[in-house]
Amino acid sequence: MKKSVLHVLFVFFVFFSFFAFSIAVNAAPIPVAEINPGYVYIGPVGDGGWTYMQDEGRRAVDAAFPGLKSTIVESVGEGPESVPVMERLIRQNKSKLIFAGSFGYMDYVEEVAKKYPDTIFMHVSGYKRADNVGTMFGRMYQPRYLSGLVAGKVTQSGNIGYVAAHPIPEVIRMINAFTLGVRKTNPGATVKVIWLFSWFDPGKEKEAAKALIDSGCDVLAMHADTGAVAQAAEEAKTYVIGYNNDMSQYAPTMHLTAPIWDWEKLFSPIVKQVADGTWKSEAIWWGMKEGAVDLAPFGPAVPEDVRKLVAAEKADIISGKQAVFTGPIKDQSGTVKIKQGETMSDDDIWSMGWFVEGVLGEVPK
Amino acid sequence: MRLRAEKRIDSPAWMTFMTTALSVLLALTAGGVFLYLQGVSPFAAYAAILKSAFGSGYDLSETAVKALPLAIVSLAVMLSFTMLVWNIGGEGQALVGALAAAAVVRYFPVGSKPAMLSMMALAAVFAGGFWAGIAGLLKAKWNVNEIITTLMLNYIAMRLLEYFVYGPWRDPSSLGFPMTKPFIAAARLPSLWGTRIHMGIYALFFLTAVMEILLWRTRFGYEIRVMGDNARAARYAGMDCMKKVVGVMFISGAIAGFAGMCEVSGLQGRLQSGFSAQYGYTAIIVAWLSHLRPSLSLIIAFLMGALLVGGEALQIGMGLPMASAQILQGLILFFVLGGEFFQNYRVRIDAG
Amino acid sequence: METLLPIFVAAVRSGTPILYATLGEILTEKAGVMNLGLEGIMLMGALSGFAASLWGGSPLIGLAAAFAVGACLGLIHAFLSVTLGSNQVVCGLAMTMFGGGASALAGRSYIGMTIPGLDSWSIPVISKLPVIGRIFFSQDIMVYASFALVFLMMFFLHRTRPGMNLRAAGDNPKAADAMGLPVAGIRYLYTVIGAGLVALGGAYMSVVYNKFWAEGMTAGRGWIAVAMVIFAIWNPLQAALGAYLFGGVETFQLRLQAAGARVPAPLLMMLPYLMTILVLLFISAGKGHKVSLSAPAALGIPFYREERE
Repeated sequence: MKKSVLHVLFVFFVFFSFFAFSIAVNAAPIPVAEINPGYVYIGPVGDGGWTYMQDEGRRAVDAAFPGLKSTIVESVGEGPESVPVMERLIRQNKSKLIFAGSFGYMDYVEEVAKKYPDTIFMHVSGYKRADNVGTMFGRMYQPRYLSGLVAGKVTQSGNIGYVAAHPIPEVIRMINAFTLGVRKTNPGATVKVIWLFSWFDPGKEKEAAKALIDSGCDVLAMHADTGAVAQAAEEAKTYVIGYNNDMSQYAPTMHLTAPIWDWEKLFSPIVKQVADGTWKSEAIWWGMKEGAVDLAPFGPAVPEDVRKLVAAEKADIISGKQAVFTGPIKDQSGTVKIKQGETMSDDDIWSMGWFVEGVLGEVPK
Repeated sequence: MRLRAEKRIDSPAWMTFMTTALSVLLALTAGGVFLYLQGVSPFAAYAAILKSAFGSGYDLSETAVKALPLAIVSLAVMLSFTMLVWNIGGEGQALVGALAAAAVVRYFPVGSKPAMLSMMALAAVFAGGFWAGIAGLLKAKWNVNEIITTLMLNYIAMRLLEYFVYGPWRDPSSLGFPMTKPFIAAARLPSLWGTRIHMGIYALFFLTAVMEILLWRTRFGYEIRVMGDNARAARYAGMDCMKKVVGVMFISGAIAGFAGMCEVSGLQGRLQSGFSAQYGYTAIIVAWLSHLRPSLSLIIAFLMGALLVGGEALQIGMGLPMASAQILQGLILFFVLGGEFFQNYRVRIDAG
Repeated sequence: METLLPIFVAAVRSGTPILYATLGEILTEKAGVMNLGLEGIMLMGALSGFAASLWGGSPLIGLAAAFAVGACLGLIHAFLSVTLGSNQVVCGLAMTMFGGGASALAGRSYIGMTIPGLDSWSIPVISKLPVIGRIFFSQDIMVYASFALVFLMMFFLHRTRPGMNLRAAGDNPKAADAMGLPVAGIRYLYTVIGAGLVALGGAYMSVVYNKFWAEGMTAGRGWIAVAMVIFAIWNPLQAALGAYLFGGVETFQLRLQAAGARVPAPLLMMLPYLMTILVLLFISAGKGHKVSLSAPAALGIPFYREERE
């Protein structure tokens, strides 16, 4: 008896979700001039890093879609204060599409999305989705890995330093991908991590870089918003790998390369889908194949053989032959986490909370 | 000919009103020039601000949501400012209040809403009081300057919050992101009237009334006002300033701590890094602009909330960067401040 | 010593922007005016210093421009707090908003640019001195200038006539007025010069320490300077100690991490702030109520001649 009720319920549920799904898929096309995308930024556009690159992407999208009128709101805290910002974009500007540019907006996107089912939300770097909420991010670990190959080849001492902002999965994932690259070209090399606990403090970033240089590192990598690390490296004649954007202007002779964002490649297809009425909620995680992330041009110090190696590996990443997080991968204690021949699932890569072998430093517990 | 300022013996109410109105008008004019230089119509910009702040029931409610923590924290710092104790740690005290509330939810969850909320409030009040009490005690015992201690304790509170959300309290199902588990339903302050305004608003009205009585109708209030006016006279009158400092700081911190609990329980529903919206500092402005009168601070906090909302309105409605909004807010404050002069002084022009 | 030396070198380097701001604020507060807008003024200094270095082609032009811009902001603060007798706490907070916004707005076009800036320059003979040479005399001229400024201010405040007048305006404006001193004029002068020095601290961030502009790049150092003034009990020499201590502890925790320490980083990050409280406690407990005596008695209280009965 009970079982049959459950069966009926199950059938009903499947039917219902199919129905709901078909509604979501068959969203009506929206004329470009009526989308009015709203961008919610975590920092000021003038940070020169994360938000700056997102805004560069937005500008490119605006240029690509004549008639598109976008609106930005800067320095929106990752708290309840983000709710009225999104609501006002919808109520006043009739935004049909909202890009929420940082992880901390997650709960608030969920809250607002429930209230405004006709507006489409794209949440950068989150994992909560709904009928009208999609998530988007770039596989930055791919160019990170490639930059690790370069660092491993260039280092003389085998000591590489890494200035890192906050111990969140995104940053940890980058350090791991970078280290895998380093150890591939230089199995004995190590990557030493300093946590800043700040996304933005050029003074502190510079001091962290100098601390790493003084402790014997001859290549630096970084995950923070300004060019301070690159500048410190140039002054000390230490090689450096930037982040976010090409940082060669801060270190003209010592800049090797930089994993960089191209947000236009992420924003643009979404706008197109919304305009065509083909948008549906999904977890977008685009990589080098889609052009969402890339490597900045090599600096003068990168030798020819390294350039060739990176080009070959890049081709493998794009073709899908190289997945970066492929076994054998050991953790810091030497325990095999991923066996030979296995590849980590996207979910596991997404939530990495441990360091691979070769990283010196720890994830605060 | 020269200008001379003369202190007004008493300023009639209409005078206060006129000068305030005039300075606001001047502020808006100066802001208008700035907006014009930015290439937008000042009238359209001001209309956008007004509409966003007061334009509809929704807008009013959101302005109130912004004003609520400002008002509570301003009550907190007001108490200490009255006796010229410079508690600029409202920010940190609110933070530890939120932290304590989250701790209670984590370690002693109960299903009954009234019980859960009272426990959280109690924890927040004690934590905030303790945090400010440290500064009070250090001042009373060793005369350690409270500006430094409260300011430094703000930073320490921030780091403490980071320690917990990155470490022991991190929600394992958050895929490693720095935040606690979502609070249980019993730990959420109910919201009112279908808006985001939460029950904390009742507490605010209650606290305002209590503070108004405490400051202006009790011996305690009288004593701390005297101490604020003239510490030496207070000592002659046999009042023990140092003992009062600890008490005042404790109450002050307790109120701020409660504000923190309201934010985390009413609006956020979990603790995550990047908790604060710098309410602590803005609340200091509110406390001063309301001349340390609790009832007045309700209005000033609401107007300040409107000014903050206006910042968003300029970005959303006029496409101006955040920076323009900050400049405008700064300008308006400058002029309102300058205008207070004319409330207290009469300008005479002397010939010769 | 070899491992500790870089920490001391870094302490002086990262303490210098805070030191300039602290010295500026000491000057202002000693004259009886409290200016809490340091963060905004530093940001304006950082931007104008960077922009002027870029256009003028010399870091010295940049530093001069920063001082001038800071002085102008000081003039606004002086007008509001001295002439109009406004609440100085609110005025300072308004200045923080205004400076942050104005620097951000004007700085848009400078994002991503760099300047050669001011490089370090070791003083020929004395930089070869053991230990001290590395720490103090292998830095840049702004650091050397800050040493000079510390001693100059010590001398000026306590050994010269104008210095005494300055202190009189801050301690007992009524008496100073009775002595025929132009209290308002004195307060104006040192609020303006003080704000200029604060702006130099900001310019140090964008012209010397880093050589680029980024929005909000002072990252709270203005507020630290506000605390350092009191920490130093309004004494320039102690201000230097405080600024270096603060800078040093911050560098120390970064270097502890580089050395592989296993303390959770957020707790390590508390160190500079905890140390500040502890050291202040130590000083205050030792000196008892003398601390409050060295505060300018009329700090933050407006003064008008007409109030004299």
